Parts: sequence; structure tokens; C-alpha cells
Amino acid sequence: MKLLNIERDTLLKPLQAVSGIVERRHTLPILSNVLLEIADSELNLLATDLEIQVATKASLDKSANAQAITVSARKLQDILRSLPDAATVSLETQESKLVLRAGKSRFNLQMLPAEDFPRLAQGTGEVATVSVAQKNLKRMLQLVQYAMAQQDIRYYLNGLLLLVDANKLTLVATDGHRLACISATLDEKQPRAEAILPRKAVLELVKLLGDTDDVVELQIQQNQVRSHFGSVDLLSKVVDGKFPDFTRVIPSNPPSRFVITRTELQQALQRASILSNEKFRGVRWVLTKDMLRIVCTNAEQEEAEEELEIDYSGEPLDIGFNVTYLLDVLNNLSSDQVECALGDANSSMLITVPGDENFKYVVMPMRI
Amino acid sequence: MNEAEPKVPSRWIAHLDMDAFYASVELLRYPELRGKPVVVGGRRAHAPKTLPDGSRRFALLHDYAGRGVITTATYEARAFGVHSGMGLMKAAALAPDAALLPADFDQYRKYSKLFKAAVRAIAPQIENRGIDEIYIDLTDLAPADDMGDAEPHSGIRDIAMRIKSSVHKATGLTCSIGVSPNKLLSKLCSELEKPNGLTIITMADVPGRIWPLPASKINGIGPKASEKLASLGIKTIGELAAGDEVWLKQNFGANYGAWLHRVAHGRDERPVVTHSEPKSISRETTFERDLHARHDREELGKLFTRLCEQLASDLQRKGYAAKTIGVKLRFDDFRIVTRVLTADTWIQDAAGIRHWAGRALKKAPLEQKLRLLGVRAENLCVADALPREDVDQEQHDQLTLGLFKVP
Repeated sequence: MKLLNIERDTLLKPLQAVSGIVERRHTLPILSNVLLEIADSELNLLATDLEIQVATKASLDKSANAQAITVSARKLQDILRSLPDAATVSLETQESKLVLRAGKSRFNLQMLPAEDFPRLAQGTGEVATVSVAQKNLKRMLQLVQYAMAQQDIRYYLNGLLLLVDANKLTLVATDGHRLACISATLDEKQPRAEAILPRKAVLELVKLLGDTDDVVELQIQQNQVRSHFGSVDLLSKVVDGKFPDFTRVIPSNPPSRFVITRTELQQALQRASILSNEKFRGVRWVLTKDMLRIVCTNAEQEEAEEELEIDYSGEPLDIGFNVTYLLDVLNNLSSDQVECALGDANSSMLITVPGDENFKYVVMPMRI
Repeated sequence: MNEAEPKVPSRWIAHLDMDAFYASVELLRYPELRGKPVVVGGRRAHAPKTLPDGSRRFALLHDYAGRGVITTATYEARAFGVHSGMGLMKAAALAPDAALLPADFDQYRKYSKLFKAAVRAIAPQIENRGIDEIYIDLTDLAPADDMGDAEPHSGIRDIAMRIKSSVHKATGLTCSIGVSPNKLLSKLCSELEKPNGLTIITMADVPGRIWPLPASKINGIGPKASEKLASLGIKTIGELAAGDEVWLKQNFGANYGAWLHRVAHGRDERPVVTHSEPKSISRETTFERDLHARHDREELGKLFTRLCEQLASDLQRKGYAAKTIGVKLRFDDFRIVTRVLTADTWIQDAAGIRHWAGRALKKAPLEQKLRLLGVRAENLCVADALPREDVDQEQHDQLTLGLFKVP
């Protein structure tokens, strides 16, 4: 039966939006598939890994017969990608096969019944709804996502805390060694709500959100977070667990502080890190009056040293850090300057952006 | 036998099996239990209590409530019909007055090392078969004249006796040794005169000593094969040996049939493997009560994490890293399901094991209540042989945020 005739890109674009979450290997074969649903002049696409579900749609030139099929997301995407840009694709079903034709190419793809395709259940509990410009949420996510834990036994760290309180939205990520936190002011007051968004959903959101002022609507529920933006509807289960109280590890007022040009510090650290120990990635900061000396040594006793002139009148300090943790934050910030505030060699350092109260990065030192 | 067996055995292989090992180790600690029925298999709560007068009070089997199984029973307890693997409640019905002791694996490992070291000092060619049994290749130690007609193998008997007394001196424990031209026969004959036995046989003794034994005594003839053999009218090894090889192959397949024919005639060429790496390391636990994956999620999660931590410490203590992590589930109907996953990196720490075991667990059906949960590390490699970056290791020098400290 004839399904539809469609421009390659009209199908490929929405398909790429939903197929990012499809796992390569899964015990349930249908989860490798994408659900294509035709209703009037709309094509709805849906993919899921049972934790996250992404749906989107494309408009068709003319209305087609209502039909639903599922077919391998990855194979369909690979086929479409390798066709010429301007190709027109025709899809039709023949028994349990989907026949895709374009020019002189023909592909027979195995289908699985659309009625077997799983969908996430509706979330439960109160809904807190927050609207933010897509580019703002994308930026906020980028500023904290790198600090999320990965495959940590403390599973609730393998994600990002979404916290809505009054008219403030806060995102927090930590792997136990460093913590990144960003807030934004909302237009309207909201009831308090919090959820841990799993790592995969966070990375997918960063990918799918656009650099536009168009709004993304976040619906935070006790067991689910729904992000709706453009034609995309991303539904994610939340990590079932209690995120630790992050406020107590943000130092209130470390005594020794200095402001430095972000790129200057970033480039000095990048150079020095060439000679850091590949496993431990340690870097030494030696602070004296108006001077930051950065020293890296590796297992072969090679050494790199960088001297940076700063405005510093705090206590002399010799402190070690994992250079990756420092570069992570410097690479993701876009401000001209950063402020570093320190206590002693065993206390955390607070990195902020001068004149911006919203972003905070806390990193614990390393004994070198 | 249709082939002439060489008169002089080309090899002398010993199988040494410690007598009621766990229970005997316990008796060293609690000598007052000697001569009494004792079973090992309780939990820590069953440890003996020391009374004010210095004497000890032991937990008795008839007071036991739970679902543990017997790990070992002394020969006195075995006389009541209890045996390892039997449920403790069932055993309590047979031997209510037997003393019940908790298993102390650290202690057993210590004695295992002691007895193996004692053997190694005399005969270095040792194959580990477990905590309480080993194969020993004595071929090079056998005096030349022993290979001849000197009866009854006095040279090899001396060596075996020396090993037995050395093990006793080092541990205070007795063992039983079977000596024969191969591993198969030695394993069979170490059992013949247990406890504290020594049995030496040659191929010439096979019809007299081995053929009367039930076929199921052979390692590799399990319950299913025994049942099939029985249905064909074969109960003893001798009856199996009388069976035609072609007929056996027709009934049991070419490979297994040929093997059955070989072992029935006491033939086994397997070498004593002195250097072996473990194939897998695992930990498992039977629950106090059946648990459901969803309803008892929290409790199950804790037990699961604890198993992963124990497995991680086993791996680290033994110096291995693993690439494959598996889970084993036993449901309330005793059905067993296993699931494994292979990681893209070497795993040695609890977090890594927990992660991959968690993913493996997700692949298993979890609707039914669980009775047992196990975690297994396979695809092992000696951790020292890995490049250092490859082993997931906590970075000791990195300080952590005080996120989890009590304020």
C-alpha cells in the first residue's frame, strides 16, 4: 500500500531529531525502530529507549491515508543520508516490508507492528511549567552539563538537577569532585519543583534546542520532565533519587581572590597540561603577590611552567587541581574574565564571572 | 579390556581432598565439638556464645529458622543423612541436635593456603581444583623401581604418606588421597577410603575397584546422563564399560559417546594444569525472604550494591580486572536466569561493576519474585598486565566536595 511521497530532507530532518536516542543494541527489537504515523497532512515521528521518548512531526504537501508503521531508525536514516540532496523518496508497504524508492534505488526494509511500539506513560503528580527562550536554556545546560557524573554508583549524580523555586530556575551538576550551578530569573513565580534529568536526556536536549528566542516549555513532574519546543516533544523519566544539598558546598566568601582574563588562563593551562601526568592530570598553582605560576610535571620528570601576572594580594598559596576540571569550565564560559576565589590548599576554589551572580563553579583541589 | 594396558603406568597422578574441610577447620577452633554432629552453614548470628564460665554455647540445628543451606557437615552429621547443599530446615528434621556454625571463609582460605603450601614443599606440580582439593603430578617423584613390579607401589605410597603427614602437621587436618595413572581415576579413588584414606590403583585395578561404582560418580556424568543411562539399563561404570562404543555414540552423540566409552575404561589423558587463571569470580546471596524487583526495590538495590562491592574487593584482592559482568537470578520457583554484558573497558571497581551489572539486570525478566541474586565477573585479566589508565581506579589524590558529609 502506498504510504507517501516526500522530499528527502522533509523526512531526514525530523528523523534525525528523534533517532538520536535510539540505542544501538537493545533487548527489545522494536526499540531500534522509529514509529512513522501519517494523519491527514502530517507525518508524526516517535522514538524511545523506554527512558526517553522524542516525538516530532513534519508537514506533508497533501494529505495521505492514515497509517502507522515502524522501521529501523538507523537504517532509514543512513539510506536517506546517502541519497542525493534533492531526491524525492516514495514509501510503500508490501506485507511486512517497507519499500523505499528514490530514483533508481530501491530498499526493502523489515517493519514491526506499529501497535507494539511502546510509549512512556503519562507523568504523575503536580506539574510545574516553566518557559524559557530555547537559546537561554541551551546555554544554561552547556554551562553545567560537563560536570555531571558518568556511570557513577551514586546514580543520582548521573544527571542534572532542575530546580524551580519562586521565580528562579536553577540547574546543578556535580560528579562529587566539582560542581557547576547556574540560575535564571523567570517571568512568573512558580510552585517549588525539582527533578533529576538523566544524563542522556540532558545531552539530547543540548543537541536539539535551537539558538533562537523561541520558547521551550518545561513541564516538571514528580517522575517525568517534558520539554516542548518547536515541533519537538521530549519526554524523559527522571532519576529516582535525592540530589545532595548542593548549597552547602558553595563557599560563601573565600578570602583570597583574583580576576583574570579567561582565555589567558585557559591557554596557559592548555599549554602546561601537555606535560601533565596522563592519568592524574594534576596541575600546580603557586600564588604569590601579584603572580600566578602554573606548574605541570609528568611521570618522565618533564616540566612545564607558565607565569601569569595578576592582581593578587591574598595569602601565598600552593595548591593542586585536576587540569581537566579547570579547562572544562573555562572552555564552556564565554565571558572575558573569570574570578577565582580560594581558601587554603585543602579547600575548594570558587570560579565565577565578575558581575554575574548566576553562575558558580566549585572545584576541589588535588594533592600533588 | 580390548587393548593391552601398559604394565608400568606412564604417570602417577594424585587427587588430594581435604576431609569435611570447613567443618574440620571449625573443629580446630571448637575442639569440644569433636565426635559430635556439626554442620556449617549458618549466618553470623549463629556464632557460638562464650558463657561466663568460659565454656561455649552453640546454636543447634533444631532452633534454625530460615533458608540457608549446609556448606559442610562432619562425618558424624552425615551419619544422620544430611549432606552439603541440603536446606538447613530439612537437615534440622534429620539431625535436630547437630551444632550449627556460621561459615567463616576467611578462615577456610587461610587453611587452604596452609595445606597447599605444605603439599607444594614436597610435590610442586599442583593443580588447584578449589579451596579443599588439588591434583598433584607425582610422576617425576616416583622412584624408578616403583614403575616395575615392586608391590604394592611402596615408593609412591611413601610419597603420598609424607604428603598426608605434612598436611596434618601444617594444619592439624586430615585429607584423603587417591593415586592412579590419571586424574579421572584418582578423583574416583580418593573417595574410596575417606576419611583419612590413601588409595593407590593402576589400570589393572579398574575392573575390581572402579567398575562396581555407580556411573554417576564420574565427573561429567550428571543427573540427566545418569537418568538416560539408567533407562538403558546401565547403572555402574562396569556396565557402561561393557557397552559397545558405536552403540554409546548412537545414543549419546559422537563426542559424549566416545568420552563415555573412554572414561568407563579408566582412560584420561588430561594433564595436571599447574598454572591456571580463574575464568570468573562471583558473589551471590540467597535472601531471607523472596524479594520483588519493584516492590522491594530499595532493599534489593542495597543488596545488589553490596554484592558489587564484595566482588570488587575480591577482584582487587586477587589482582584481576574484568571485561564481562553478569548477573544471576534465581526465582521463587528455583528457575535460574543469567544475563551478561561486556564492557568497553576493564572493570575493577564497585561502581563499574554496579553499572554493568545493573544494565545486565535490566535485560532479565523481573516480574517474578527473586530468591537469589548473584554478580559475576568474567573475561578476567591480571590487572598488573594492563596499562594503568585502563583500570578504573579511584583518583586517590583528588579531594571530594563535602556533599555527603553529615552537617
